[in-house]
Amino acid sequence: MSGENEMTTASSQPNFPGGTPEEREFEMTTDSSQTSFPRGTPEEREFEFRAHVGAMWSGSRLFIAMYTFLLASVCFAYFYLRSSNNAQLWRPHNVTAPLYYGWAIYILLLFTALMALFGQTRFRKGSVNDWQIAGWAGVLSGLVALFLQIFEFTKVPFNPGSSAYASIFIGFACINCLTIFAGTYWLETTLARSLRIRKELGGTNPELSTAFTARSLRANVSAMTYFWGYIALSSTLFLWMFYRF
Amino acid sequence: MSISTEQPNEVVRRSAAPPPKRRAISWTQRPGWMSQHLGTALVGAALGYWLGHWFGNYISSDYSYVANSGQNSIADTLALVMGVVGWLAGIGVLNYPLAKIAGREGKELEDVKDWTRYVRLSSDHKVVGLQYVVSVLLFFFTAGLLAMAIRTELLSPTFHMFSADTYIKIVSEHGTMMMMMASSIVVGPLGNYLVPLMIGSRRMAFPRIEAFSFWLFTAGYLVIFSALPYGGFPTGWTGYAPLANQAGPGMVSYLFGFAIIGVAMAAAGFNIAITIVNYRAPGMTWSRVPAFVWGILATAGLMTLATPSLFVAGLFGILDHTVLTTFYVAEHGGSSYLWENLFWFFGHPEVYIMALPGFGIVAELLPVFARKPLFAFKVVVAGELGVAVLSFFVWQHHIFQSGIDPSMRPLYMLTTELISIPTGFIFLVGMGTLYKAKIRFTVPMLFCFAFFFNFLIGGVSGVFQSDVPVNVTVHGGFFVLSHFHYTILGGLVFAFFGGLYYWLPLMTGLEINKKLSLIQFWTMFVFFNLTFFPMLIIGLLGQPRRVFTYARALTGLNDFASVSAFCLGASFLLFAWTLAYSLVINPKKSPLNPWDSLGLEWQTAQPVPVHNFERIPVIMTDPYHYSEEGAPKLADFGGGSSARESSVPPTDNETVLR
Repeated sequence: MSGENEMTTASSQPNFPGGTPEEREFEMTTDSSQTSFPRGTPEEREFEFRAHVGAMWSGSRLFIAMYTFLLASVCFAYFYLRSSNNAQLWRPHNVTAPLYYGWAIYILLLFTALMALFGQTRFRKGSVNDWQIAGWAGVLSGLVALFLQIFEFTKVPFNPGSSAYASIFIGFACINCLTIFAGTYWLETTLARSLRIRKELGGTNPELSTAFTARSLRANVSAMTYFWGYIALSSTLFLWMFYRF
Repeated sequence: MSISTEQPNEVVRRSAAPPPKRRAISWTQRPGWMSQHLGTALVGAALGYWLGHWFGNYISSDYSYVANSGQNSIADTLALVMGVVGWLAGIGVLNYPLAKIAGREGKELEDVKDWTRYVRLSSDHKVVGLQYVVSVLLFFFTAGLLAMAIRTELLSPTFHMFSADTYIKIVSEHGTMMMMMASSIVVGPLGNYLVPLMIGSRRMAFPRIEAFSFWLFTAGYLVIFSALPYGGFPTGWTGYAPLANQAGPGMVSYLFGFAIIGVAMAAAGFNIAITIVNYRAPGMTWSRVPAFVWGILATAGLMTLATPSLFVAGLFGILDHTVLTTFYVAEHGGSSYLWENLFWFFGHPEVYIMALPGFGIVAELLPVFARKPLFAFKVVVAGELGVAVLSFFVWQHHIFQSGIDPSMRPLYMLTTELISIPTGFIFLVGMGTLYKAKIRFTVPMLFCFAFFFNFLIGGVSGVFQSDVPVNVTVHGGFFVLSHFHYTILGGLVFAFFGGLYYWLPLMTGLEINKKLSLIQFWTMFVFFNLTFFPMLIIGLLGQPRRVFTYARALTGLNDFASVSAFCLGASFLLFAWTLAYSLVINPKKSPLNPWDSLGLEWQTAQPVPVHNFERIPVIMTDPYHYSEEGAPKLADFGGGSSARESSVPPTDNETVLR
């Protein structure tokens, strides 16, 4: 096994109160949907754990690919209707959605993405408190962005059916609500998990970072940060499309 | 990589200690009728539906367009949305995401051992696979009954069972339900059940996403079925605008139903693709991955990437109906062609979502019954991946006659013709495998032969439809209808039935009655061809689809097709009887590995243990070394409780005797 040097056995570990992180993990994890099996040998558990981390890595990338096709469909609709300009009703009088809301939502999303990135960087260096402060700031920012995106529906200066632009903006705003909700939910659940892990593993001893649960959390944080980077990038494109183009 | 089979010190030391403390399972998952199951899901759906409808009426009944039309699409949509949420909450899908908000990992789902686990949320891929078997058959039989109604109406061009309006709504419901069913008919039941077993994994990557995809799929069935009490929809399964914008509330069921089926498909594909990529057993290199798994992987990729555009198209359609956006209304700046593009960007990969798993099944079964290695394994893989990639570049051939710049037609004609090349690979590999083989004519093998026969007719009739002149001539007629029934029913469904007969002994531990299944095969094969081949002729003679009357001169051919269709329907009833007789009325224990397959899925114990393999196997070769002297062992099972430690292939003599 490529990672055999990372194997942790009872004999190679220092003495931990209540057993090694792996042992505690073993006792905690009886659910088949978790990362290890009660009947597995350490090698098997390590193998499945590596598969689990790989699944998080490739899952987040595939999720982004899937989301790209979703957003690409919105872009296609935007440019199709724009180039068709049927009945000269693409965007009469160049009316756009409120620019201030667009910028505010964009800045908040950018801030959340940066907080997630900063938090992850600090988390990797062991500064759990920095990660949590940055993360909760990101959650707050994401929730405000979500509120503004919903509130913007009441402030648009057009009816949904008044033009093709109005329609596609309403469609985009619905999907953007979904995107912000998904990203914020992911960030919040990762933070909540990191808080609970301390309790489950019994402290913040640096050696506990080798436990499956802790390694799984790090993979999750990494995948979540990647998704937020993607949200920030796609938001830039949509800001340009819907508010400036 | 090697997996040690010795008990490490750590484990030995633990074996003397008291057993590890098990976490309590949630009350929502405990056995008994007070926990969460299908019944609570139905109650949740009913409550959600009522609440959504009330809320929709509350917020929108004063709107002038609602008051004037007497139809409240907002209430109908919210009712369906909340109904689905209630369904998912009732079955327990939402427990885990809600627990995650508090940082909990959720309770385990596995402890129910009796039959009620099949009507509950389960994270066991084998349970989910069998749940899918039942639900896709439910889809299939419901839509099949509608097909019988269609053929009854077409018995006469002048005497009518239904009005024209009712007829088109029956056709639409039939087509939509069949397409929804067919998109998951293999990936759902066989993909979920078999993929972990075939790659040597003990689990799926994301079992809760797998369970979610199944229960959302069933919700999709209920939603699309709700179109009937809502008055149906007149657009056919393609849901074209502007007709869709003019349709009644049944259209909302169509749009929402298709959108959530899209989400279910994407979730299922996502989970399966990630499982195949990450959970292959040690030694299961890409060149050793079975052909069926390759087919499922290609399909899962398509499901994940193609369905988002369906979701977007459905969302835009629902917004047109509810908040009066104008995505598909050309008079107000929208375009009906936008729907056609978004829909077919999903719709054509959807065709291959239906075809590719069939290719995979046939490629998997042929070597077993030909007792020969699979001919040109890498060509099969290239064919499956080639079809998957090319399927994203052909969608505009569906709109050759509308919504496409005529100068773009040759490009899409070319890409469509190109896709016949990787499809042809599958035939070449099949014929290569059968060449000089000592074939065993079992029921699954007969289905494979039928697949080749039917798919050849479907494929050839498809190749020249990709040419613009032919396409323009036969478009919208029975020729096209017959073509895709030959590819989907004649190809995919025949392959699925072959796969089901092949793998049911593994899934149930019971033998399927040979005589009944043989009769069922021949009736299905003969009457399928007698139903749909005349339709090719009817189409060439000019009968249009979706119209309930036709030229009197075509009565004979239509009556022949209708009577054959009734017999085809009877063959499906015979299938249901065969299953009931073999699994319930007269169950007989199946021998271990009744087909002498080398497939990894047959090497584990029966019934398949909860975690599939006692020890994770180490794979040593591919599973196609039939009749090869000195072939290497398939896998090292590490002394676990596998059905057989080694998979030495039987000699030719043994094979013939069997």
